Amino acid sequence: MNKTSFRRIKNDTYKLGLILLTIISTVPFLLILFFVIKNGIAVINWEFLTSLPKPIGENGGGIINGLIGTGILIIIATIIAIPIGIITGVYLAEYPNNLLSNSVRIVSEIFQGVPSIVVGIIAYFWLVKPMGHFSALSGSFALALILLPMIIKSTEEMVKLVPADIKEASLSLGVPYYRSILKVIIPASLSGILTGALTGIARISGETAPLLFTAFGDSFFNINIFKPISSLPLLIFNYSISPYQAWWAKAWGISFLIVIFILILNILTRILYKKI
Amino acid sequence: MKRMSKLNKIAILAVLSIGLFGMFLQSCQKGEKATTDKVTELLGGGATFPYVLYSKMFDVYHQKTGMKVNYQSIGSGGGIRQIKEKTVDFGASDAFLSDEQLKDFNAPILHIPMCLGAIAITYNLPDNPQLKMTPEIITDIYLGKIKKWNDPQIKALNPDVKFPNLAINVVHRSDGSGTTFGFVDYLCKVSDEWQTKIGRGTSVNWPLGLGGKGNEGVTGLVRQTPGGIGYVEVIYAKQNGLPVATIKNKSGNFVSPELSAITKAADTQIPTDTRVSITNTEASDGYPISSFTWLLVYQEQNYNNRSEERAQALVNLLWWMIHDGQQYASALNYAPLDPKVVKLAEDVIKSIQYNGKNILK
Repeated sequence: MNKTSFRRIKNDTYKLGLILLTIISTVPFLLILFFVIKNGIAVINWEFLTSLPKPIGENGGGIINGLIGTGILIIIATIIAIPIGIITGVYLAEYPNNLLSNSVRIVSEIFQGVPSIVVGIIAYFWLVKPMGHFSALSGSFALALILLPMIIKSTEEMVKLVPADIKEASLSLGVPYYRSILKVIIPASLSGILTGALTGIARISGETAPLLFTAFGDSFFNINIFKPISSLPLLIFNYSISPYQAWWAKAWGISFLIVIFILILNILTRILYKKI
Repeated sequence: MKRMSKLNKIAILAVLSIGLFGMFLQSCQKGEKATTDKVTELLGGGATFPYVLYSKMFDVYHQKTGMKVNYQSIGSGGGIRQIKEKTVDFGASDAFLSDEQLKDFNAPILHIPMCLGAIAITYNLPDNPQLKMTPEIITDIYLGKIKKWNDPQIKALNPDVKFPNLAINVVHRSDGSGTTFGFVDYLCKVSDEWQTKIGRGTSVNWPLGLGGKGNEGVTGLVRQTPGGIGYVEVIYAKQNGLPVATIKNKSGNFVSPELSAITKAADTQIPTDTRVSITNTEASDGYPISSFTWLLVYQEQNYNNRSEERAQALVNLLWWMIHDGQQYASALNYAPLDPKVVKLAEDVIKSIQYNGKNILK
């Protein structure tokens, strides 16, 4: 009797400890969310979202250049990375053990660990220097390089999850191999692949370092991808190191926008993930 | 059957979006070709310190002329690097290029002064009294020889202030910076010991102290550390409500970093290429830790297939900045150029060439 109650107490203590630690691990995140919302939400208004920045000393002004810039950068990065990533991922899942797939897997896994600033430097030397000027395209390219290994990885994992029976059934009915892949395997894992892509997009939407020396920034309105372009993380960086409180407020506002955007992407990911 | 039509839809959508993207690319290229005839954009990058003034100037310039000048604050080092790589029309730097740095460029580079800035000595003491400082005290604090705020030397200079028995917490920059260069350049001029032991540089081997990243980092550290002392661009101390010391200049006057005192610091012999340090000058009312900030351009503008129109647009901009542009400096806490310096800057701008011919006659 005495022994069981001791066990029960021990059990409860561990359980309580686990619950406490779990709660503690969410505290930093909740604090960040709290401060970003508290300081950011008051800044958001129609003018903030739709007008260009104004110099210090003038009221108002907005961040439309960064909003458009981040949008363009993400769209082009996605267009570059998604087809290549999905094709590579499917190949890795279908031929898991030959020399090519093993080396590609290792390379992409290593590349996933490369710091994003290094990716920015790569893009600088591959695109900015040969072209002779900064451009949105080179920024997108850097972001695509970060996105690519993430999409390869998630596609590979998701395609592997598709039961072999389904593929075999398709093949046994006389469907050619390429059509089995396009019409059976990819559709079966599509929501998983999209989940991976959305997670990747959420990650690159907050990147500053790879954009410093590629997309460079622009204080005017620009949609030409061969010219420098602004982005939201870059604006946060510039505004937050300034001495002016008016600009700190703007940095909070932009942080709020990015956090909300990433939150929405993550919720979408959740919804898609449940469908798998 | 249903699945097939869905996939077909996706395929059609993909083809369409790629097609649209291609068209978008083409239209952009066309747009680029059209703009080469008439230059509407200039690109510059560099020093963080004058960013606020430049963004104001370029905003006004855009409203007046329609010319879009895109300036990004990537730091003085970045500005020098990018003008060297020729990815920008002009670079910007708080420190002028040394003779060795100039040799690294394969074409002559010009320095055009734009305004002046100053480095404030700021501190965190109870009730934030107004302090006087001498070069000797500043050097000794940064060398670690004066360790307490109630040191007799500091007390003797500030008899009205009641100093607590508080350790001096020295704060410096952790990153390479033009501000550090200006500050240690000053210390080198006033102290042989500093010159031989530590020397000059955008980052140096500090004998002691905490490092903060950027002006904002140093400001934050001083504000949070009782007994802290640090050097920051004046504007950071002012905007954050931190006290600023008055410093004894070469003529023996105690001067606070007011704009007029900063402008006056340049009242000295300035070489025609304007590459000069104006810390610790003879100017009797000048603030001793002042500095110019410059734009960097190539003397020969015909490089990388640049058009003559682009060169002309750049020269027009520079000319406007040292004349009409100066009126926006004071309101933003930057010290405008002295008329004597404007004259020198004019001569530098006049020497800019295209195909060996002066652009401004």
